[in-house]
Amino acid sequence: MRYDSITEAIGDTPLVRIDEQVHGLRNIDLYAKLEMLNPFGSVKDRAAWQMTRQALPAAVERGDTIVELSSGNTAKALALIAGMHGLPFRSVTNRMKVPEVKELLLLLGAEIEELPGQAECLDPTDPDDPLTRVHRMLSEADGGYLHTDQYYSALNTQAHLTGTGPEILRDLDGRAPDHFIACVGTAGSSTGVAAALRAGDPGVEVLGLVAHKSDFIPGIRTIDEVHEVGLFDPATYDAIESVTSDEAIDGMLTLIRRCGLLAGPTGGAAYYGAVRHLRSLDAELTGRRTAVFIVCDRVESYLSYIRRRRPELFNQPPRPNSVATLTAADLAAARAVDVEAARKWIAAERPLVVDLRGPFAYAALHIEGSINIVDELFDELLHGGLPFSRTQPVLLACPVGEKSLAYAALLTRMGHRDARSLAGGVVGWRDAGAPLVRD
Amino acid sequence: MQQPPLPDEPLYLEPRLEPLLRSALDSTGLLHTLVDALGSPLNVVLPEQLAENVARFRAVHRRHHLSGEIYFAHKANRSSALVRQLAATDAGIDVASAAELQHALGAGFTGPRIMATGPKNPEFLWLAARVGATVNLDSQAELEQLSALVRKQGLPRVPVLLRLSGFRSPGTAVLSRPSRFGTDLAESAALLDAVERHQDAIELTGAAYHLDTVGLPEKAVALEACVRVLDECRRRGLRPAAVDIGGGFGVNYLASQAQWERYTTELSESVLGRRPALTWQRHGYGLRAESGRLRGALSLYPAHRAVAADGYLDELLSLDAPSLGRPLATLLLENLYDLHIEPGRALVDQCGAVLAKVVEVRRTPAGEPLVRLDLNAADVGLEQHGVLMDPLLVPRQAPAHAPAPTGAGGAVGVYLVGNLCLESDLITRRQVFLPELPRAGDLLAFANTAGYCMDFTANRAMRQPIARTAALYRESGSWRWRLDDQYWPVHALGETR
Repeated sequence: MRYDSITEAIGDTPLVRIDEQVHGLRNIDLYAKLEMLNPFGSVKDRAAWQMTRQALPAAVERGDTIVELSSGNTAKALALIAGMHGLPFRSVTNRMKVPEVKELLLLLGAEIEELPGQAECLDPTDPDDPLTRVHRMLSEADGGYLHTDQYYSALNTQAHLTGTGPEILRDLDGRAPDHFIACVGTAGSSTGVAAALRAGDPGVEVLGLVAHKSDFIPGIRTIDEVHEVGLFDPATYDAIESVTSDEAIDGMLTLIRRCGLLAGPTGGAAYYGAVRHLRSLDAELTGRRTAVFIVCDRVESYLSYIRRRRPELFNQPPRPNSVATLTAADLAAARAVDVEAARKWIAAERPLVVDLRGPFAYAALHIEGSINIVDELFDELLHGGLPFSRTQPVLLACPVGEKSLAYAALLTRMGHRDARSLAGGVVGWRDAGAPLVRD
Repeated sequence: MQQPPLPDEPLYLEPRLEPLLRSALDSTGLLHTLVDALGSPLNVVLPEQLAENVARFRAVHRRHHLSGEIYFAHKANRSSALVRQLAATDAGIDVASAAELQHALGAGFTGPRIMATGPKNPEFLWLAARVGATVNLDSQAELEQLSALVRKQGLPRVPVLLRLSGFRSPGTAVLSRPSRFGTDLAESAALLDAVERHQDAIELTGAAYHLDTVGLPEKAVALEACVRVLDECRRRGLRPAAVDIGGGFGVNYLASQAQWERYTTELSESVLGRRPALTWQRHGYGLRAESGRLRGALSLYPAHRAVAADGYLDELLSLDAPSLGRPLATLLLENLYDLHIEPGRALVDQCGAVLAKVVEVRRTPAGEPLVRLDLNAADVGLEQHGVLMDPLLVPRQAPAHAPAPTGAGGAVGVYLVGNLCLESDLITRRQVFLPELPRAGDLLAFANTAGYCMDFTANRAMRQPIARTAALYRESGSWRWRLDDQYWPVHALGETR
């Protein structure tokens, strides 16, 4: 495979059979269409390229900015395409809930604007909804923008009508699958693929999957939100079912751990929804059937999304010298000194004064002669051992004397001879009228 | 297209009722006696609950080791009983007019416990300066005006906070709705120059913001920006002590998330014309149908919230500062700043209800039941504030009233109309679901209206009476009441005299 441009690598993704041992369906062959193997990492590569390829030469000529309402994969693909052609890319979104994706987009050079949150008090002078305002901005700007408009553009659907759908037919030896399962985001892939498959066999059953209403699965809309999408046509789907984020993660773990597919939560939702839907049909089948679902993208961008919902998946073994392992006896044995005693001690024995606050706060005001090791860093240091001699007296200071007491206890347990905590912390120091300096 | 099966239950939006308010609204006899004596509509307030709410916010401060004041945003409710009860707690009060300031002083607040915010006329500024209230300065012009006043009148130095706006975020841009209040961050250097010039008249105590949003990221951006501005103040030798983050912590109005989700889904379906109307003339609350697609935005208060009030504050303080990285509470604490808050709605959560008498029940030609109440839309601002919540039916227990005109039993969707001779005087633009059709003489209780939805917009249009307010309190296990103006937090002492 030799290409002149990465965009030529878009499409022609593998169709991989899921082992019967994994899904447990006796009469249905279940296949995953691995859209995550597109070069920019998702099913959106196809739509992004289809929506821009014709318009790009003129846009480059004019130096347009590519604009889209996307917080995820479409933005990612468009940012890369824009960059390849020397154009800026700007995205306006209110669904920016995945920090890694946000950072990745910044890295790719995208300009992201997150829309304001809802007002606490209703304001009748607020002209309209934010997305309408964005559309108005685009139409008033009189050029300068290439708006790809994924929720309304027929090119989005067309990418799948001419690409994804026919590829599935080809890989199934020209036969349409009996069931097609897709998550509904822009509805572009489900609509386009469904149309292509039904052209081969009108009897294909299409299942659309949406997110539970109060839940959030990246890239999937809820049952209410699909009504806002121009490409969404209820007639496309024989059924619409909803999946929770928990179920999506379950499905994702199965794909990752049992099938070797590095799928993200959306692919997991598709798998979970597919198996749940097919299981009841499977029991009554006599002949063989085929089903295809789409794996939209990869897992790497969703680590914090998963960590928030399933912290146990990231279980860390307990680390040595951790404040979490302190006992009540350790804490009771820790030494604390009040401000007056601390001032005398500093004057007499010059202990090392360690300020555990953040560097911004330390720079603003601190105890003269103290050094700043922010608590997170100090915590890291201690896992490896004492960062100073055990005979060097140390006075630890934090805002109110609580954290510093824990660290004094830990240092003592680690064998330090004279580690003390400033009782009342820097706040107590200030309140006692003791001097704080700013360098 | 197959929809998930829906339960058969009517589209109720049951209010969330905590024990005190529930107990008060269960006191059917008392409520009828009160309305009989004082007329319809009638407001009831629960000062005890206010004190409990203050304690909950205080607990959040404690959990994060933060000092600072809780200022009740007075404009949420004009009741004297609530303000006097508040004066008996450790909270302060945020006043937005000279009259509110006078009210607060009359209720027992002293100047140092008062914060003056909002647009201010010279009289308001003078009285605030005279009593030593903190002035939350809206602009440099106001700073100049206040300083001139202090000098001319020979007043003591006035503590001031600088209200800031126009915050810009690092990383991806977090947009904020433009505000008419506060000084744009880009102009803060000139503002600080002015602060330095006027130090003989004013004493800078901190920075403030109030963003009208439920979005946490926007508030995190603003809070961090305030800390940075205060650092600049310190660099200039000023001694700021606090960041005031305003209010907007929200209230969870509804008992059931499932009811709220189901209702809003059905509302979308109704706007798209796929189900019978849920609202008068298919009003869409900001949503509209355009060629089969749903457009616009639902302009409703998010009435069910998993995180609200003190929980919201806790979550905000636990967020990391967008560029300095430390949790916001830690950032404040480490920089030795107090945290001031100004909740209004959240502090009077569960603190009251509006009662209205049912005057007539009839049906439109289309068969829709209309319930006419002896109050109007301005007396209960639920609709104006976009809060969707069902009223409670408080039946009149005496069986002497006439039989209901329809004789119907069981749950029923009704439209509530008011006592003004105006087509627009619908108490709610949506159909409200009640467990049965009310009868003339019954009461409807609009629960949890003490925050902005009680007397905020009440007026004397068409000479209809404005609701009186009664303060309810418990004594020896039973409910007692006083006219709002007769309630002082020493009622227990009065009884034992």
